[in-house]
Amino acid sequence: MTVFKTFLKVLNKAKAPIIMYTVFLIFFAGFNMQTTDNSTNFVASKPDILMINEDIEEGITKNLIDYISNNSNIVEIEENQEAIDDALFYRDVNYIVYIPQNYRQDFLAGKNPEINIKSTGDYQSSLANMLLERYIKVANIYQKRITSEDELIAKINDTLEKQTRVEITSKLDTNQLSKATFYYNFANYSILAGCVYVLCLILSSFKEEKIAKRTIISSMNYKAHNRKLLLSNSVFAFILWGSYVLLSFVLVGDIMFTMHGVSYILNSFIFTICALTIAFLIGNLVTNKNAINGIINVVALGSSFLCGAFVPMEWLPDTVLKIAHILPSYYYIKNNELLKGLEAINFETMHEIIINMGIMLLFAVGFTIITNIVAKRKRKMG
Amino acid sequence: MFIHNFKYALKTLFRNKMLIFWTFAFPIILGTFFNMAFSNIENSEKLDIINIAIVNNEEFNDSKIWMETFKTLSDEENEDRLFSTKYVTMDEAERLLQDGEIVGYMVLEEEKPNLVFATSGIDQTIFKQVTEEIVQTSEMVSNLAEDEIKKEMMAGNYHIDYEKIYKDVLEVAKNQEAKINNISRSNLSYTMIEFYTLIAMTCLYGGILGMVAINQNLANMSSQGKRVSVAPTSKGKVVLSSMLAGYITQLVGLALLFIYTIFVLKVDYGTNLPLIILLGAVGSFAGLSMGLLIGTVLKAGEALKTGIMISVTMLGCFLSGMMGITMKYIVDKNVPIINKINPASMITDGFYALYYYDTLDRYFFNIASLAIFAIIAMAISYICLRRQKYDSI
Repeated sequence: MTVFKTFLKVLNKAKAPIIMYTVFLIFFAGFNMQTTDNSTNFVASKPDILMINEDIEEGITKNLIDYISNNSNIVEIEENQEAIDDALFYRDVNYIVYIPQNYRQDFLAGKNPEINIKSTGDYQSSLANMLLERYIKVANIYQKRITSEDELIAKINDTLEKQTRVEITSKLDTNQLSKATFYYNFANYSILAGCVYVLCLILSSFKEEKIAKRTIISSMNYKAHNRKLLLSNSVFAFILWGSYVLLSFVLVGDIMFTMHGVSYILNSFIFTICALTIAFLIGNLVTNKNAINGIINVVALGSSFLCGAFVPMEWLPDTVLKIAHILPSYYYIKNNELLKGLEAINFETMHEIIINMGIMLLFAVGFTIITNIVAKRKRKMG
Repeated sequence: MFIHNFKYALKTLFRNKMLIFWTFAFPIILGTFFNMAFSNIENSEKLDIINIAIVNNEEFNDSKIWMETFKTLSDEENEDRLFSTKYVTMDEAERLLQDGEIVGYMVLEEEKPNLVFATSGIDQTIFKQVTEEIVQTSEMVSNLAEDEIKKEMMAGNYHIDYEKIYKDVLEVAKNQEAKINNISRSNLSYTMIEFYTLIAMTCLYGGILGMVAINQNLANMSSQGKRVSVAPTSKGKVVLSSMLAGYITQLVGLALLFIYTIFVLKVDYGTNLPLIILLGAVGSFAGLSMGLLIGTVLKAGEALKTGIMISVTMLGCFLSGMMGITMKYIVDKNVPIINKINPASMITDGFYALYYYDTLDRYFFNIASLAIFAIIAMAISYICLRRQKYDSI
């Protein structure tokens, strides 16, 4: 109880930076959430396109603009060369179409006028390119045979209207699941950084030379002391975890009330235990307050980057993922990714997830043992 | 006296191992993480070969246009290859879809393609587009051929060569090319911004070194500072030499980071080396003056000063895109004034201008902004530093 009371006292003293840091971390995750429409019907992906029309918006030119607008998200950017180039670089727009002067006249005269474009070269821009190319091809072919502009436009639209029927098999609400995965992946950083920061802050008070000496000569066994400290610190870790989970109900939505949601929460709970033991180990190893900031960043950012908390796992190079196997964060994030793809939750499908949770718990036990060894060694002071 | 103090300031800085380690090593470690996480990201955004399946029922095997098109689009030697196609039975296609080996499959029924996907997505959209294109082209061909035949009939010609008409029309359809000319710049790698913010962070973070060096001369910070303050030396000499020591240490760290990012991580800073060095030097100077400003204006302990320095730097880096590349763009677009006074953003934007733009206006605008920022910070610190008196310490 003495240890816990002291812990609360220290916590109370340092409450301002701790609350600030915690709120900052949790809100940071919230800010990063993307809002997307959710639907189980097929939704065609739409590239972001900017149309710059130097021709008069009439006839065939207008029809081209209408066709592109219907099949893409038209982006409005002020007509300024630098603003447009910036937008392209930062992927605010994937594809820019410059319709030249006299496009309509030249086209109707059969000159097949050249269209300038700017493109980011990614998926979306390829899709945009397909759209534009298709329209021009269809228009060109009809133009050779049909002279009346109205008839030409009608024919083009008639042809381009033909759609393929699509069926979607998955009953999963993938949108909400990817949201949940994204949110809980980010928790890897928030929980780890939060635990390490606060525990190091609190433990450094316990490790102050005079206090540490008094604790060592007391009748309390160092293991019991460590255990009590760890338990006290877990109070904070679970508060952090709890607020994170609470926020997920607001940000992610209904899916958190299903079995999927429960699995996400359970997974993050086990990871919190693991993060707590990591933080406890670091707090015992490092007594220099100046170094804490650097270490938080290296540990939390490092494992987040390596294991795919920020950048999706499937985009990471294989070698990085192999290295990531030695970090507990890998198993945590892997579980989130697995959950995203699960159609049904039962023992069979959860098999791999349960194994990963076991590995995380093993990590936690390992870290606790190492902490005890370190603590024992550190008891001898000059 | 100048050289004497300079020498010792430099020595004390380099002996502060913890400080040197974090100011030198932290950006390098962070850069390595960035490199690991982002090295693949742009490649994975490019259009990949899409795995699909087609149910090879009789109708598909009889339809020349469908077979040919998908054969060409799945041909490994075709430069514009889009798909890797498996021709399978219905059951097999369902299994492949469930196992996630394909994004979707197509069944051709009554001359109409039906697509089955697990979810929506961009690969699926492209697959859908291609099937639509085939449907539309074949409809267009039959439309035009019909028109031709009608025309011939109207002209009173009843010996029509249907084959020839179809062939002609098909030929016209095939040989149509859309003239699209790509005029975008080649330097479009947006992950470079991450590394530019890293440089910006190092420049500003390095201000801590200048701050630590100055702190040693402030009477309210250490007993050494008290001794320096009462010594009969001009304050200017002491402060300037300490700052120079901080600046040089900072440049060493920055040079290490540049060498590491250029040779190991292959970061592209553009081709104009002198201008890159100039930006690094001016940026560090801005960082130094920021450190000086925080160090002299605030009457607080060293830990709090360092804390403030770090938070200001990190906030600046956040706004210039370190934690999410688009952040800088969002700020630039909506509240440009913030990034006009944010030194981290000026540095990042300077490198971006060198990398992406052909002209140097934007680059020099950033250099000038940094210089102005530094001069203002220096001027304020100067006013605070001179004739400083302490009633009690």
